[in-house]
Amino acid sequence: MMNRTNKKNRIVDKMMVPRYIILSLGLILMITPMLYMFLSSLKDNDKTFIYPPVLFPSLSELSLKNYQYIFDNVTFFKYLGNTLFVAIMTVLIAIVVSSTLAYSFARLQIPGKKIVFGFLISVMLLPGLAMIIPQFELAARMKLINNIWGVILFYAAWVTPFSTFLLKGYIEDNVPKEMDESIFIDGGSIFSVYRYIVLPIASPAVAAISISNFLYPFEELGWSQQILKLDELRTLPVAITMFFQSHSRTDWGYVFAMTTLAMIPVILFYLLLQKYFITGMTSGAIKG
Amino acid sequence: MNAVMTKKKKKKIDWRNYVIFLPGFIFIFIFTFYPMAKMVVMSFFDWNIGFQQVSPFVGLKNYIDVLNDPIAKIAIVNTFAYAFVTVPLQMVIGLFVAVLINGIVKGSVGYRLGYYFPVISSWVVVALLFRYIFSNFGLLNYVLVDILHIANEPIGWLSSRWSSLFAAMLLGIWKGVGWNMVVFLAALQAVPKDQYEAADIDGANRVQKFFKITLPNIRGTLLFVIIMLSIGAFNTYTPITVLTGGNPAHQTEVVLTWMYFKTFNAYKMGYSAAFSVIVAIIIIVITVVMFSISKWRRGEE
Repeated sequence: MMNRTNKKNRIVDKMMVPRYIILSLGLILMITPMLYMFLSSLKDNDKTFIYPPVLFPSLSELSLKNYQYIFDNVTFFKYLGNTLFVAIMTVLIAIVVSSTLAYSFARLQIPGKKIVFGFLISVMLLPGLAMIIPQFELAARMKLINNIWGVILFYAAWVTPFSTFLLKGYIEDNVPKEMDESIFIDGGSIFSVYRYIVLPIASPAVAAISISNFLYPFEELGWSQQILKLDELRTLPVAITMFFQSHSRTDWGYVFAMTTLAMIPVILFYLLLQKYFITGMTSGAIKG
Repeated sequence: MNAVMTKKKKKKIDWRNYVIFLPGFIFIFIFTFYPMAKMVVMSFFDWNIGFQQVSPFVGLKNYIDVLNDPIAKIAIVNTFAYAFVTVPLQMVIGLFVAVLINGIVKGSVGYRLGYYFPVISSWVVVALLFRYIFSNFGLLNYVLVDILHIANEPIGWLSSRWSSLFAAMLLGIWKGVGWNMVVFLAALQAVPKDQYEAADIDGANRVQKFFKITLPNIRGTLLFVIIMLSIGAFNTYTPITVLTGGNPAHQTEVVLTWMYFKTFNAYKMGYSAAFSVIVAIIIIVITVVMFSISKWRRGEE
């Protein structure tokens, strides 16, 4: 027994160095583009166009001038605030809608719920923008064009199918039916079950879907570009795209200063909630 | 008659069920189910948005237009090419990285963070970055021409169809590997350790262990990842818009960018709706086939 473990350790050690080498090479490929972006954001705007391009500029070439320009000329914090507002509202609506629907699909007696669930799954499979025409017409009729709720409500609708799908699976697997029964015996209704059993037990899954829903407004471009035509309403992806287009597509120093700034809240968010990212994503994955 | 009545009464559903179900249902009905149905209707009309616009019924004309449109075909082919290249490569690389990280003792958190970094960065940001790197006098051409001497002169990556798509695919893979890594890593850690120990006693080597133990154990995850990545590949919009805008001459359009162009630049709502329906049918057929294959294979064992 001793012998075997020793031998195993030796084999592992032999492969250890190549493992670290390959992983490190891959890591360089992963990080270099982002590093290049960050360094370019510190370069003078004209220097971003010189050939040969410089990956590591000398320290004297670096300055925060581009960032100064962004803060002076772009309402960056307005865009960030808009994006955060959209994100928080999307998350809240999605939690309410998907948790009640998931609980209904998992437990409640509702005629035709299987059909509704089937529809929901097929919506999940369709590309989000595929329904953009009828949805845009709907948004126009509801006076949601140039209205921040025009993105919030539709984002919530787009993320609902997948969130519901994950939550339903989670409830079925992790919330024992006996607990429902015990509430009923104590004279509680399904409201109490939802409030005191389903929500608390499913909270890890709720956290997981909320994290990915939160990041959605930091990503989405097509819909927000059509809805948020007013500058003061724009979210970051739209603002960045507009900024890029209005700067004759060449002022890379400014552009990268703005994109780097836009990355900061997302990175902070990720570092804070790192644990939940992993557990949440994988709870759906392993189940398959 | 009486018996039926009592039976019905017994089955009477608590009104509270509806209190929980209906708000969410109404929400998704208004914002997704209704538009979905509306889209099918629109696809038979020459649809116009706006005040007092008439939208004449045109039958199958939109569908015929789509099927006869060479750009629609290009968009579908490009989307499929993107999916066929990026989905398997992301999975293979992601699984490979996951296996490596699973085998190291120290620093796994650091690697995980690093590989996951592109995943959390926004598409707009990384697509702009790739546009810069792939530009004529950008970093990539510099490396190819002046450092590696593979190319004689700068390559116009973003000015022809397949090289632009290559850039988009590379972007997709680069951004997606980290997600695959994290998902597979979790799956690997759930594989029972005693199976590996048993294989060790039998003298199985690394490769054998991987194919005989690891892969079968993570089959559920593989299916999940394939579905998620395929959905993602069909959702490709931002990278193409930012990298090429569908140019040159619509040669790099994907399904969504073309739909978007037809809707908001050419105002062909009916055309776009028909195109959406066709794409939806394609996706549903593929999904059904994929599921029946996996079911059939499971049944075979």
